[in-house]
Amino acid sequence: MIQIIEAVPEEIYDIELEHSLLEANARLARENRALLDQHGIKAIDFMGAIGSGKTTLIGRMVEKLKDRLGVAVFNGDATTSNDADLIAGQGVPVVQIATVNGCHLDANLVGKALRKVDLDKLELIFIENIGNLICPAEFPLGSRARVVVVSVTEGPYMVRKHPHMFLGAALVVINKIDLAGAMNVSVEDLTRDVHTLKPDIKVIPTSCKTGAGLDEVAAALLHA
Amino acid sequence: MHELSIASSLVEGVLAFVDRHRVSKVLAVRLAVGELTCVETEQLRFCYTAVTRETAIATATLEIDQVEALVRCSHCAYEGSPKYWDDALSGTAVPTLQCPECGRAAEPTQGHECLIKGIRYVP
Repeated sequence: MIQIIEAVPEEIYDIELEHSLLEANARLARENRALLDQHGIKAIDFMGAIGSGKTTLIGRMVEKLKDRLGVAVFNGDATTSNDADLIAGQGVPVVQIATVNGCHLDANLVGKALRKVDLDKLELIFIENIGNLICPAEFPLGSRARVVVVSVTEGPYMVRKHPHMFLGAALVVINKIDLAGAMNVSVEDLTRDVHTLKPDIKVIPTSCKTGAGLDEVAAALLHA
Repeated sequence: MHELSIASSLVEGVLAFVDRHRVSKVLAVRLAVGELTCVETEQLRFCYTAVTRETAIATATLEIDQVEALVRCSHCAYEGSPKYWDDALSGTAVPTLQCPECGRAAEPTQGHECLIKGIRYVP
């Protein structure tokens, strides 16, 4: 026999709160940003699908900028150190952030990575997010700017399918344009889609194979 | 599945409230989720059920209010709903950061919310 007592309406409290569920991460992101600013370091966060060319693009940027600036790279990767190994070959500090099963980097993990490098020797940190076009959007890391990397090999509807990621970005790179013809994908259409979502965003078509657009990306990152 | 992180943060928030107040039973938790977030409400419900299991709030219902996107245009001084993109492949029209009046870039003023708006409980 179960006895049930139900509250009458006057016994029910209905209270208003404004408790942000993303605040814990947002607060750590602000702390990361303050630490970076204090050391005069600019961090740039790269987001994009698996295989869009984030690691290769970051590698090219490191090549172009490492002689002028103190550069470090944080590689987010679920389990492997494959990407970190590729960049470490260039002789810059690399921290691999293994999220194990996590689908995005968060400000806490980036804060831990910041404690692993000598901040006094750095001016620029590239953060490679996990290959995922949805989850990282809600988790700021403390970077100065977020870059979205899409490639023509992801097909013509890439931007339309993942609109949220672009809303918070400062720069969009359309990569692998040397394959646009073979893929029958129009770089102009992808650019127009990005501008439908965010009319003032800078879009740079690139090819890490031919080098097209890479100087423009490096210049945009320096001014971000 | 960032919804799992959000559901965990939600449960922590509610349980912290329960700890600080005289609460015998939480009846409902009311959330506000903005249209400009990429929080999938069905996935959030699923995660909420999984995360609250065997906690003090397992029987509390989850009410989710969608908060519409609003923008302000610094070019033409428009304030209101942004241009919606019908061609986006997401089932429903997607809010953009484009001014529906002049077509230039607009700043979001509402729609990024993801918060606990209220808790209904029996003291």
